[in-house]
Parts: sequence; structure tokens; C-alpha cells
Amino acid sequence: MNDLSELEKELRKLRPAPPSPVLFERVGEALKNCRPSVSDAKWKRWRFTETPYNWWSLGFGLAAAAVLILFAAVTMERRHEQQQIVAQNSSAPETRPVPLGTKRSISPGRFVPAGGTNLVYNTRDEGLHFADGSERPVRRVRYNTQQTWRWRNPKTGASLRVSYPSEEVVLIPVSGQ
Amino acid sequence: MEPIASHENWRNCFSEVAPGLLLFARQWVQSAADAEDIVQDAFVKFWRRNHDIANRGLLYSAVRSLALDFIRRDARRARREATVLAESEPVIEPHFELEDDTQSALAAAVESLPRDQREVLVLKIWNNLTFSEIASALAISQNTAASRYRYALTNLKKTLQPQ
Repeated sequence: MNDLSELEKELRKLRPAPPSPVLFERVGEALKNCRPSVSDAKWKRWRFTETPYNWWSLGFGLAAAAVLILFAAVTMERRHEQQQIVAQNSSAPETRPVPLGTKRSISPGRFVPAGGTNLVYNTRDEGLHFADGSERPVRRVRYNTQQTWRWRNPKTGASLRVSYPSEEVVLIPVSGQ
Repeated sequence: MEPIASHENWRNCFSEVAPGLLLFARQWVQSAADAEDIVQDAFVKFWRRNHDIANRGLLYSAVRSLALDFIRRDARRARREATVLAESEPVIEPHFELEDDTQSALAAAVESLPRDQREVLVLKIWNNLTFSEIASALAISQNTAASRYRYALTNLKKTLQPQ
């Protein structure tokens, strides 16, 4: 072997070990299971530059969708802020519907309130206290609740549900006998 | 070897590229059966997506990627097997069909090359890839591919020179 081209020729004479016949059957089986109904020649051509999974785009899309949902939730929450009712003064946990506003958007393509619940899952009586500047004692009761609000798009049927924990403190005047 | 994408029949295409692909896969995995699994996965994915001929390097890149994944995934198993193999007779599955002692010496010299040079040599000699395609498959520059190839040939020549 005098030079490199001679060596290349010798190398090309080496034949790689052939694959087992079973491999052809396995590949054929795998392609049969996934092959489209059209002929091979009509398969849709995908270029490498058009990779079907663009993970960056998917990530940005999901992030944008999350931001939009959060924005919608905050907007809806503010709309109903004035309509919320303080939980009942009850020691037993309960679930009850929360009244919603009577005015509902009827514009197509928009979400309208569909209901809400205020689940009181813990009540703690913190005893009697004197509020600032007051001579009458009040009983302080702390409620731990889980509030859930739902909106629905009547046009598309899509629904949006926001659920969050909250804590409320209620001062109840104590009447003397 | 004809361009693989000119074939619409996968069997013709696969029979042309399979030996070279298997040899390429065996640069990482010793077992011929494991190499065949890797080649099958890569080829099926490549064929399903019907990539263009210009992306032939992608097929080799997929084989390399799957082989590296296989090594990582089976590192524990490989250690167990290494322990067992150390206590038993090693079974060597030849990478080439050898006809005489000269070819045996040449094959042994190829096996002794550093992996980075060997994989370029395998892609160039037994898979007929251009340096551009090799660069694409191995994620290196064309100059690096060409220099590795030249080093591989030089090293082989040194190894094969009579002492």
C-alpha cells in the first residue's frame, strides 16, 4: 500500500456483515403497521427543515395560552368581586351556590358566568374581641373556603373554571341579655 | 450506491443501506442484534417521514442518536454483562465478511482506530457519504470530517506497515 488511495481501495473491498433476513421482515412489519393507505410514491414529503414537532413553538404557544387564561380569570374575578357573599355562620362545612350577577353578556364568542360555589371546609371561633373604638364585644369567626367560579361560552360550548382558596374573618356583634 | 430516495420500494432501499448502517451502529454497540434494533428504528422513522434525499445524513444521525441513547439506557445492563463476559469466553461477532488474512488484518486495524476517526471512515468508505453529509450526520464541520478521515487513513497505514 503505497499511498492513501491504494489503502482506500483495499478498504472498499471489505464487505460489512449483512443484516439478518429477520431484520427485513421486522422492518416490513413495522412499515406495514404505520403505512398510510396511499402508495409510497404519494406519501407526503416532509423536509427535514419542516420537522413536525417544533418544541419551541409548542412551548411558546402553551405559555401564551396560559397567560390569556390567567388574564381572563382575573378579569372575571374582578367583575364578580362585589357580588360575593360572606359564608354563612355555620360550624358545619357546606356547599352552596353563590348568586351571580343578573346581567350576562350575550355577545357571541364571549364567556358568560355559569355559576359558582363557595365551599366552607373549616370554621374557627376565635372568641370575643373588642373592635377598635367599640365598647361592645364582637365574636370573631374565621372561615377557610374554596371558591370556584365557572364561565361558559354559549356559542362554542367551551367552559372556564377558576378555583382558589380563601380565608374570611367575620365579626359578629354579641348582644347582651 | 444510488440515492436512496430514488427508490419507492423500501426493500430495495433498505437492502442497499442496511449493511453500512449496521456497521455504523456497531461502532457503539457490540451486539449485532442490538445494532439491528437500532437500525430498524432509525430506518422506519426515516421512511415514515419520507425524508428527502438531501437529508440522507439524517438517517445516519438518527442511528447515531439511537445508539447513544441505547448505551445510556443500558449502561447498567452493560456493566452486568461485562461482569459475566469477563468470566466467560468472549463471543466476537465480526463486523466484516473476511476472505483472507490481509482483510482480517485490515479489519483489525480499523477496529483499533479511535472512535471519532472510525465513524467518519465507516460513513465515507462503506456508506459512501460525502463530507458534507458526514458533517451533517455527526454534527461536526466538513473540515473536521475531512481531517478525521485523513487521520484515520494515516493511522491505518502506520498500523499496517511491516515492522
